[in-house]
Amino acid sequence: MIIEAHGLRKTFVAKRGRGKTEEVEAVRGIDLSVDEGEIFACLGPNGAGKTTTVRMLATFTAPTSGTARVAGFDVVKEAAKVRENIGYVGQGGGVDDNAPGRVSLVMAGRIAGLSRAQAAARADELMASFSLAEIADRPVKTLSGGQKRRFSLAIGLVNRPPLVFLDEPTTGLDPQNRANLWDEIRALRDAGTSVLLTTHYLDEADALCDRLVIVDHGKIVAEGTPEKLKKEVSGDVVTLRLDDLEGARKLLAAQPYITETQVEGESLRAYLDDGEHNLPTLLRALEAGNLAIRSIALDRATLDDVFLKHTGRSLRDAA
Amino acid sequence: MLRHTMLFTGYELGVLRRNLAWPIIGIMQPILYLLLFAPLLTSIAPNGSLSEALVMFTPAALVMIALFGSMFAGFGMINETRNGVLERLAVSQAWRPAIILGRVVKDMIMLVLQSLLVLGVAALMGLRISLTAMGLMLLLMAVTGLFSANLSYGLALAVRDENGMSQIVQFFLLPLMLLSGLMLPMSLAPEWMQTVAKFNPLYYAVEAGRAMFVDDFTHSTVPVAFGLFLVLGVLTLTWSVRSLRKLAG
Repeated sequence: MIIEAHGLRKTFVAKRGRGKTEEVEAVRGIDLSVDEGEIFACLGPNGAGKTTTVRMLATFTAPTSGTARVAGFDVVKEAAKVRENIGYVGQGGGVDDNAPGRVSLVMAGRIAGLSRAQAAARADELMASFSLAEIADRPVKTLSGGQKRRFSLAIGLVNRPPLVFLDEPTTGLDPQNRANLWDEIRALRDAGTSVLLTTHYLDEADALCDRLVIVDHGKIVAEGTPEKLKKEVSGDVVTLRLDDLEGARKLLAAQPYITETQVEGESLRAYLDDGEHNLPTLLRALEAGNLAIRSIALDRATLDDVFLKHTGRSLRDAA
Repeated sequence: MLRHTMLFTGYELGVLRRNLAWPIIGIMQPILYLLLFAPLLTSIAPNGSLSEALVMFTPAALVMIALFGSMFAGFGMINETRNGVLERLAVSQAWRPAIILGRVVKDMIMLVLQSLLVLGVAALMGLRISLTAMGLMLLLMAVTGLFSANLSYGLALAVRDENGMSQIVQFFLLPLMLLSGLMLPMSLAPEWMQTVAKFNPLYYAVEAGRAMFVDDFTHSTVPVAFGLFLVLGVLTLTWSVRSLRKLAG
């Protein structure tokens, strides 16, 4: 286990106007275990407590209660040891706009204890593997979002950490840069580095990670591999729009091939296996019940359906 | 510890070297004061000469760089609270005080270099002081910078907002300047102002500078100025390093 956390909690005291304070429970008891060499994702809407959790594990924020060991060291009592063994790429990226990328990379290497020559060599190595050599000497403020992101990743890896934290690594990137970054994260895992990333993109957690937790309101609501989680909900989902939502829900829930129904906003979601074959039966049942359908769609169930099942909300609306 | 401080200082000096225009513009203000204000003081100088006026005004021009230059040093750090640089450094292997101290040493070096330039201009205008006086004055500038830069970084980390910070700095700057006898010696002021000035640390810097410029190294304000700024420097450093820790909430 490269990360083991038990009952992590963080309560912030926020100022609300004059002299008034309010306690905000950002993280309300999180247990985590991440294996060596896996890509582990924290999936959840904005404000779910993902960033706070990562910041506690990376020794930036001290937990209010609970314990965590990262790379074998306690995040509070042995913070310095933890820092030697992690790379951390925060949401802001943490690349200095005022210096060329190469200078920042060499500086990060020097802080990590490398000599001048070692740091220069390590910077060259990282810039080669992230295709940054050509733009190494341009001021970072002139670079594109994707290029900046690759520099922040390179800086996070300068000390060859066995574990790297990536907080929302692809937020704001275009699809091309996002796909490239996924490849780079997979390459990291293939080289033996463990990765803990946070994301609010379902497809990202689905495509990229080996295991994930779904976080909502500071708590873990589900945990497992993407496959296992999706198996919890049936394979397919029919999304219906009609006038009598509740009537249709009752009618469908009584059908033997429907495993679960959820009303979400103005639409009704019915979960079922083998959707292609059961769809005609479903349509006939609705017709027999005199329910007029405005629109209907059949899809494979996604992690969003898992989120919906556990929280009663769609991840798209939860943010 | 020392290694990390030097690393950060070197890095920051590099940033400065790539943007040399800013510190050069920063030094124009005290030089303009020397050129256009010091001549006005000849009428109140003891024997009415420009060189006497320069002895009175040059220390003030130097303290002015410390005020207007170093007090704004923290502005750059506000952005770093947002773009994640400080967050990354806080979980790196860097010795935390070095993150602040490295920058402060950079500001002190810059302050001493700028002071040398201002002293050069003053010398061209007719200022004559001993080498000991010059050396001690530069040292005094360094400790003044230690205080004002630390204060500025602490303020930046506590306020974390450019607009708020500029209001606060401006609010304190004017009374600090007028009550230090920077423009005109406090001896010209009414008694109540002289009393208030005794609570302004900058008053001692200006007065100690004036005393040292006439080789009066045992003047009471000289040890007070050095001691005061060293102590205040350590206190403000502690404060700013604490504010750095508070970033994490």
